[in-house]
Amino acid sequence: MNSVDGDRTLLRADRVSKQYRDGRVEALVDVSLRISSGEYLAVMGPSGSGKSTLLNILGGLDRPTEGEVYFQGQALGAMKNLDRYRAEKVGFVFQSFHLLPTLTALQNVQIPMFELSLSAAQRAQRAAELLDLVGMSHRSSHVPAELSVGERQRVAIARALANGPLLLLADEPTGNLDTKTAAGILDLFERLHDEQGLTLVLVTHDPGLAARAQRIVRMRDGRIVAEP
Amino acid sequence: MRLATLVWSNLRRRPTRSALTVSGVAIAVMAVVALVGVARSFEKTLLAIYQARGVDLVVVRAGGVQRLGSVLDQKLVDQVRQMPGVAHVAPALAEVVSFEKLDIFGVLVRGLPLDSFLLDDLNVVAGRRLESFDRRAVMLGAVIARNLDAAVGAKLEIVPGKPCEVVGIFQSHNLFEDGSIIMPLEELQTLMDRKGEVTALMVIARDKSKAGLDALREQISSLAPQIEVLMTRDYIETAIEVRLARAVAWLTSTIALMVGTIGMINTMLTAVFERTREIAILRAVGWGKGRVVGLILAESIVLGLAGAVAGSLLAIAITQFLSRLPQSGRLISGEISPGVVAQGFLIAAMVGLVGGLFPAFRAAQLAPTEGLRHE
Repeated sequence: MNSVDGDRTLLRADRVSKQYRDGRVEALVDVSLRISSGEYLAVMGPSGSGKSTLLNILGGLDRPTEGEVYFQGQALGAMKNLDRYRAEKVGFVFQSFHLLPTLTALQNVQIPMFELSLSAAQRAQRAAELLDLVGMSHRSSHVPAELSVGERQRVAIARALANGPLLLLADEPTGNLDTKTAAGILDLFERLHDEQGLTLVLVTHDPGLAARAQRIVRMRDGRIVAEP
Repeated sequence: MRLATLVWSNLRRRPTRSALTVSGVAIAVMAVVALVGVARSFEKTLLAIYQARGVDLVVVRAGGVQRLGSVLDQKLVDQVRQMPGVAHVAPALAEVVSFEKLDIFGVLVRGLPLDSFLLDDLNVVAGRRLESFDRRAVMLGAVIARNLDAAVGAKLEIVPGKPCEVVGIFQSHNLFEDGSIIMPLEELQTLMDRKGEVTALMVIARDKSKAGLDALREQISSLAPQIEVLMTRDYIETAIEVRLARAVAWLTSTIALMVGTIGMINTMLTAVFERTREIAILRAVGWGKGRVVGLILAESIVLGLAGAVAGSLLAIAITQFLSRLPQSGRLISGEISPGVVAQGFLIAAMVGLVGGLFPAFRAAQLAPTEGLRHE
C-alpha cells in the first residue's frame, strides 16, 4: 500500500537516541522500531523507561538527538518543521486530555482544523460528525469542566481525529480513568482501529490493556528490551 | 468556530486584567486624542482669525520666535499701505494680561486702529463699538466677558490702577477672538507705554497668486532690515505658542503610550505564561508558530482597539468639559477632528502590536513537550 514492493511499513525509527541536559540524561538509547500500517501496538514499561519520549519523537513533538524516524519512507529530520506532520498525519491523545478549558467540546475538536483550508461552517460540521463518532454529540456545547473524565477523553479522541490522521498516538490514555470508563475508551480505540484502519500506538503500564494489542513492545532504561 | 471565538474566550476569562489593560491603553489614547486635538484646534482657531478676513501676509520683527513679543515701528504701516500690490493693511499691538484675582491668565489684548478691517465683521451684542473719542475704553469678546463676569459699563483694571471702561461686548465667529479684549491702538500704546510700536501688520494683497505674493513679500521685506514677512499659515505654524502646544502634546502622548505598551507587554506575558500548557497543546495538534503568534497578537490588538474606543470617548468628554471651563474655554472649541481620533486608533493598534509581539514570540518559541508538562 505504501510502496510498490508491498512494504506496509508506516513508521520506522532507526537507531533513535534522545539525550537531555547535555547528555547527562539518556531518555532513549539506540531504539529501532518498525510499525506497519494499520497495526495496533502497545508500548509498555515502568515510569521513566522512555516510552513517552519515544511516542513524542514518533509523533513529531520532539526531535531525536541521534537517529532518524521515517514516516512512509520520508525522514522527519528532513522536514523543515514538523507542524504539518503533526497536523495532518498524527493524532495525539494524552493522559490528562489537554482540552482547552474555555472552549466547548465542539470548539475543542475544531482546533486542529485551522491548519486545513476549511470554512468555519465546514469545521463545525466536521467536528459535529466526529463527536457523533465518539458518542459525544449530546455534550457538544459543554466546556471540559462540565464533562466527566471519560467524556473529556472522548472529546480529546475526536480532536485527535480532526484532520483525518493515519496514526493515532495515545500516551496512557486511560491513566486517569476508572476501570469501567477505561474499558469504554479502549473499546473506542479498537473500534477506530478496526473500522477506520487507523494505526494505533498505545503507551501504557497496564499489562491488561497492553494484552489487547496485536503486538507489545517493552521498554526499560530507554531501550527496547523485548519485541516478540 | 472562527479564530475570533478563541481570541474572545481568552480575553473574557480574565475580565479584570483585560479591563485594566484596556484602561491603560484608554488613558494613553485619551492623552493623545485630547492633547493633539486641543493643540490642533488651538492652531486652527488661530489661523481662522486671519483666513476669515483674507489676510495673506503677516509682517513681524525678524528673528522673533515669540510672535507676541515682536516689535515694529508704526511708520511701516504707511509705507506698506502705499505699495500698489497692497489692498489693505492693518497694524495690531498685542499685549497679554492677567486678572489674577479672578484666576484668569494670559488674556490677549489687541490694540487696533478704529478703521481696521479686523473690526469690520465684529458683531456687537451689547453696548456699542469703540469710537474715536473713547479714552481708556475696551470692547470685550463674549467669552472673556462671561469669564470676567463683566457687563457694559464695568471698569476693568487691565493695568493695575488704570481702570478702563467696557463700552461693548462683541461676538465673532472665532473662539480665540471671543476670548480677547480690543482697545483703540493709541489707547493701548499709551496704557502700555509703547508709543509708536505695533506687534504685527496684517496685509491683504491684490494679487493672491503665489508669484504675486512672493513679489510682495520681497518688496515689504526690503523696507527695513529687521522685518520678516510670512505667509499666514507659516506665521501660525512657526509661532512658538503653537509649536510648544504641539511639542507638549506629543511628549505627553509618547510617555503615555510607552506606559500603555509596557502594561500591554506585562499583561500578555502573564497570559502567555499562564497558558503555557494550552499553547503547547495548540502546537501539539499541529498549529504552526505563525498561528500561535497570530493568536497572541490578535488578543493584544483587540485589547488595544478596545482601549482606543474608550480613550477616544474619554477624550471627547474631556475636551467638551475643558471647552466649558472659564480658564480654557477661550482657547478650546471642544471639537475633535476625525483625523485625530483615527490617529488615536492607529496608535492603539500599534500599542497592541508592539506590546503583543514579544509575548507572542515567547509563546511560539516554547517547546511543546516542555509546555505539556507545565501545570
